[in-house]
Amino acid sequence: MSAERQPPVLEGVRIADFSWIGAGSYATKLLADLGAEVIKIESSVYPDLLRTSRPFKDGVPGVNRSGYFADRNASKRSITINMKSERGRELAKALIVKSDVVCNNFAPGVMDRWGVGYETVSALKPDLIFISMSMQGATGPEKDYIGYGMTMTALAGLQHLTGLPERLPVGTGTNYPDHIPNPCHAAFAIVAALIHRRRTGRGQFIDLAQTEPTVAMLGPAVLDYSVNGRNQTRTGNAHPVFAPHGVYPCAGEDRWIAICVENDAQWQALVEALGGAPSLSEARWRTADGRRREREALDKLIAGHARSHEAGDLMKRLQARGVPAGAVLDAPGVLRDEQLVHRGHWRRLDHPEMGVTTYNRQPFQLSASEVGPTRRAPLLGEHTEEICTTLLGLSPAEVRELKEAGVLV
Amino acid sequence: MSDARALAGVRVVELASTLTSYCGKLFADLGAEVVLVEPPEGSPERREGPFIDDRPDPEGSLTFAYFNCGKKSVTLDVGHAAGADSARRLIGGADLFLEGTPPGTLAASGLDYASLKRLNPRLVYTSITAFGQDGSYARFAYSDLTLLALGGLLYLGGYTDSPPLRVYGNQALQSASLFGAVASVSALYAAAARGVGQHVDVSAQECVALALENSVQMYELEGTVRRRFGGEQRQAGTGVFPTQDGYVCLMAAGIASNRFWRNTVQWLCAEGVPGAQALNDPEWSDLDYLNTAEAKRRFGEIFLPYSRSKTSAYLYETGQRHRLPICPVCSPAELLANRQLNARGYFVQALHAATGRQLTLPGAPYRLSVTPWALQGGPPRLGEHNGEILSRLGGAPRATANAQGGA
Repeated sequence: MSAERQPPVLEGVRIADFSWIGAGSYATKLLADLGAEVIKIESSVYPDLLRTSRPFKDGVPGVNRSGYFADRNASKRSITINMKSERGRELAKALIVKSDVVCNNFAPGVMDRWGVGYETVSALKPDLIFISMSMQGATGPEKDYIGYGMTMTALAGLQHLTGLPERLPVGTGTNYPDHIPNPCHAAFAIVAALIHRRRTGRGQFIDLAQTEPTVAMLGPAVLDYSVNGRNQTRTGNAHPVFAPHGVYPCAGEDRWIAICVENDAQWQALVEALGGAPSLSEARWRTADGRRREREALDKLIAGHARSHEAGDLMKRLQARGVPAGAVLDAPGVLRDEQLVHRGHWRRLDHPEMGVTTYNRQPFQLSASEVGPTRRAPLLGEHTEEICTTLLGLSPAEVRELKEAGVLV
Repeated sequence: MSDARALAGVRVVELASTLTSYCGKLFADLGAEVVLVEPPEGSPERREGPFIDDRPDPEGSLTFAYFNCGKKSVTLDVGHAAGADSARRLIGGADLFLEGTPPGTLAASGLDYASLKRLNPRLVYTSITAFGQDGSYARFAYSDLTLLALGGLLYLGGYTDSPPLRVYGNQALQSASLFGAVASVSALYAAAARGVGQHVDVSAQECVALALENSVQMYELEGTVRRRFGGEQRQAGTGVFPTQDGYVCLMAAGIASNRFWRNTVQWLCAEGVPGAQALNDPEWSDLDYLNTAEAKRRFGEIFLPYSRSKTSAYLYETGQRHRLPICPVCSPAELLANRQLNARGYFVQALHAATGRQLTLPGAPYRLSVTPWALQGGPPRLGEHNGEILSRLGGAPRATANAQGGA
């Protein structure tokens, strides 16, 4: 890769970040890791729920001890402002006017009630980009309904399509929309709006209903119904065309390997990797049709053979023969996975209360610019004085007074 | 240049692949010109189902249709000198190149970053691959399922008594496209000002790892390995519950606190659910108690007879009226009938030129007030834009263009 270095790609972009908990915080985290200056506006009066969410360093709770919070908020600076106070709202407004982007993921109306809604602040700064990421959007009959990532996976169709057909839908087992679909769509829209602003001088309002990017991840299933009238349901790990396509037990407790065979040559390679057992060499398995027709019997057969192999070893044996295979990694597994380690995916940053802990790096590298996180998660209100004195024109004495008055808390 | 589209004037060339297609779509739908370079036999996505009327025709793939609406299709065989030359000239005039080939593959065609940078220093060159450009897995065979496995998300999905189960819909591939889009648009923002581009190297495995929630930190900080819990309550009152006509998803306590528990109890009492009063007892305000098997069993005994006697829609309405995070588990048919999505005009139509049909598909994932999201058209037919795009390449010998599949 190139040795000609450039500054981070979003250097010079300032974001007033009112987001908390899930999708909003990860959207701004992405932009912070790309070089934007993200100022997290929070309050000790009602801390970000992730600050009080497990896991905590050594299992000891504390607003500066959550690993979940840290991973989502590294690279940002933190200012505490009590938005219930008039003076606090004024200071927040002053901060917005000095920013390029405002982000929040509150229910519709919260920013307006604080006097920092789009109408108000865009009148003060017309080229502002203002994104609201509520659960179901700023308009419509269910805009005020509440939910989280997990309920969203249900409402937006992902749960129904994931799991075994005869059992309860399961989804990903996580609040998936909070982690990838919503933060990535939001970050993309924000930077696209920045590009437009540079070309035209105009800002704008972005209404992101968190259900909508989630449904966008299911395009082919929506089309299968709207065009063919087929209402798809969950099918476990089965693939409509390829067999075997599944997850098979390996040696050890709760160890598994994922294997996909996409053509007859890969099938032959799989048989060879599993030791060429006669039961796998039967003619009925040699064609895609045959394998698909009796996929359940085939899955049982492969499971019986895979069981005697260590998952990582079997993956390498299969990969050496060109068969798509991957060990199913748990948390300790991803932390020591040789590829993730080689790529430098896990970044270790030193924090005053948590010590050295592990953060995700963004899942991409740029040849000429640094990608974060490079700065550990902020302590609650760590940068209040710094931000007030450099951006808001307050003196250290005024900051102290406002803290005592319950404004900058 | 149009002010109505956020990315008007941005020129993107995408070498067709399942790793790049959603990334290209995001650019196209905000107004960039996206030229999809397909091999003469068509993008691999054209062979993925479902198909219109279930006929496996390369012009009938609904997967291709969804991910490629509004792009311009050009057929070029980049494995041959003339095709590679056309591609080089196309990318020479582009702002962004998207590719998803195994690392090292494109050097033989002179379509690697080092070669294209000499031709076009402003170019942002984005490689979206399974494992990134380097490392011992870089040339591993992969599929969506194996990427979910190696990224760690697969382990968290499924039932306590089942093998890990895959999330629907090529989420590993789409996640790689999404992160690729964010990195690319940000690199473009810089390149436009600096006059110098760079190489963006996206790893799908790493993208999946970003979806692990707090599980890496749970292990590191508290020594707990998170496992799959599907089919059971995650804590008392949190999970999927059967109804008269389907399922609802309920988070009776909320997240990281039990701020909604009181609302849940008020709701169930207002509905006259037998035994609901007992949920007011003090132990239910203890988060640790909610995590016990006893709490889950007791909640189920009270709630399940009620939920089974009501429709999902009824539970959604009455639960939300009591300010609870509850919603129905929706099938694709129910999504298309969803009143909120329809009130917002979420689903849009696109003309499928090959069959003349109007397709109904998911629309704007975000609403930009000044530069609205909009499809630029339906899915292109294979090579539909050969004439328009290849004639633009100054000095392109016509015969070469035609030999590469010019329409």
